[in-house]
Amino acid sequence: MKARIFQIYSVVLILSCVVTAFAVEAPDYVENHDTLYNNLTIEKRGTVVELRARSRAGEYLESAVDLADPLRLVVPYTRSLFAAAFFEPNPANVLMIGLGGAGFHRLFTHAFPAARLQSVELDPKVWELCQERLAFKPTAQTPVAVMDGRLFVKRNREQWDWLILDAFRGGFVPPHLKTQEYYRECAARLSERGVFVTNLHQDTELFAADLRTIQSVFPKVYLFQTHGRGNVIVCALKSTVSDLGWEPDIAALEKLNPKLASKLDLDSLAAELLPFPVELAAKGRILTDDFSPVEFLDALKTNNTKAR
Amino acid sequence: MGFQLLASRLLNPFFGSSLIVWAWLISTFLAAFSLGSIIGGWISNAPLRQRERSQWIAGAIAVGSLAFTAFYGRSMLGQIEIAFAEITTGLLVACLALFFLPVTTLSSFGPQCVQYLASRGTPPGKASGLIYGVSTLGNIAGVMLTAFVLIPHLPVSTLLYLWLTVALVNLTALILLLRSSPGNTAP
Repeated sequence: MKARIFQIYSVVLILSCVVTAFAVEAPDYVENHDTLYNNLTIEKRGTVVELRARSRAGEYLESAVDLADPLRLVVPYTRSLFAAAFFEPNPANVLMIGLGGAGFHRLFTHAFPAARLQSVELDPKVWELCQERLAFKPTAQTPVAVMDGRLFVKRNREQWDWLILDAFRGGFVPPHLKTQEYYRECAARLSERGVFVTNLHQDTELFAADLRTIQSVFPKVYLFQTHGRGNVIVCALKSTVSDLGWEPDIAALEKLNPKLASKLDLDSLAAELLPFPVELAAKGRILTDDFSPVEFLDALKTNNTKAR
Repeated sequence: MGFQLLASRLLNPFFGSSLIVWAWLISTFLAAFSLGSIIGGWISNAPLRQRERSQWIAGAIAVGSLAFTAFYGRSMLGQIEIAFAEITTGLLVACLALFFLPVTTLSSFGPQCVQYLASRGTPPGKASGLIYGVSTLGNIAGVMLTAFVLIPHLPVSTLLYLWLTVALVNLTALILLLRSSPGNTAP
């Protein structure tokens, strides 16, 4: 009898092990790439491919795409970038500095099929991996230039309706992309109703300096906080069309762009609007080409995800 | 080397911070070290009066070119950026115009310091090792001081003026010291 129980127990044990092994899906692959500017990890787990960069405190999620549902915004802050639509709901020409895995691009081209989205990426390997591993297929409407973001803004004479600065190198933004002079160059390339969008880290010493510097160039600055992630998305306008009591017009945007509204919870996005921290910004020092110690102010405490 | 860090900060707004910028910057500094060492070797073996004249000329060029970089560096870079659409050519011109001359002339004093010690009885090998060892330690101190103390607290323009002042004082002292070399008192 005991032998019989032991046999049944063994069969159950083996079966449970087999079931567990299948239930916990192993990563399809993990690759490491030493590039000219980054140490990158690409990990495919199920249908999601993540692009992570090594930084001081570990690996940080730069970008991610769900290959089975490319329109899903896997990295939370990329959703907040669409807050620009509250200010300029009909972008025809958009510039994005920092390609990453082009997680933002899939939903953008779906929601704004007539718009052109120009990207600029410094690291040629990121551009290569974005196509080969994150399945980004550039078209005539989504061209990519491999060069420094500041040089591109200086040399390209187009006007942009949204100008998105999301260029991180190993967890921090290069100092020359954080200065008053650069923001002025960006403002000069914005259309009249254009929106300058950038991704800041709230829990760094750099935050106050960033806000003060952006405020010194753009007359209107709105902040959207990606909940629980430490990211704050800045939407800065060079025009003063919106008043102080401005609130996102969700109904108008839903009506104008049902494709975007069907994929994005606009109410929850609008709820991310933060009151501008006037006192904090006043404590920051304006960063210029002459004084921009970004590496020392940007004591990275949080990022898109916790350190792995 | 500390000056090299400042140079990168000066170049970044105009040419970005790509590997291309660092490649040209490092190559320019190494070429200047190389040429400066060769010129310094010639000067140290030149006849007395020619040597003294060369030292003052080299010192004046070093201070003058550093002053040019400190006062006109940014406006010069703006002009170069507009004049050369191709980034590599622009960088080459910028590095040569702003950094090559001061680094070359400053480097020319290394071999002269070796000659100074050798002329006072220190064996040439020992003198050479001492000068280049101390020089390398000075470079490390310069890099660390610039990166961790000066750049986080002071604007680049202020640091360039500081560099200029330090170069002026140190070169004057060094040239006066080299004049007291035993070789200089011979007829």
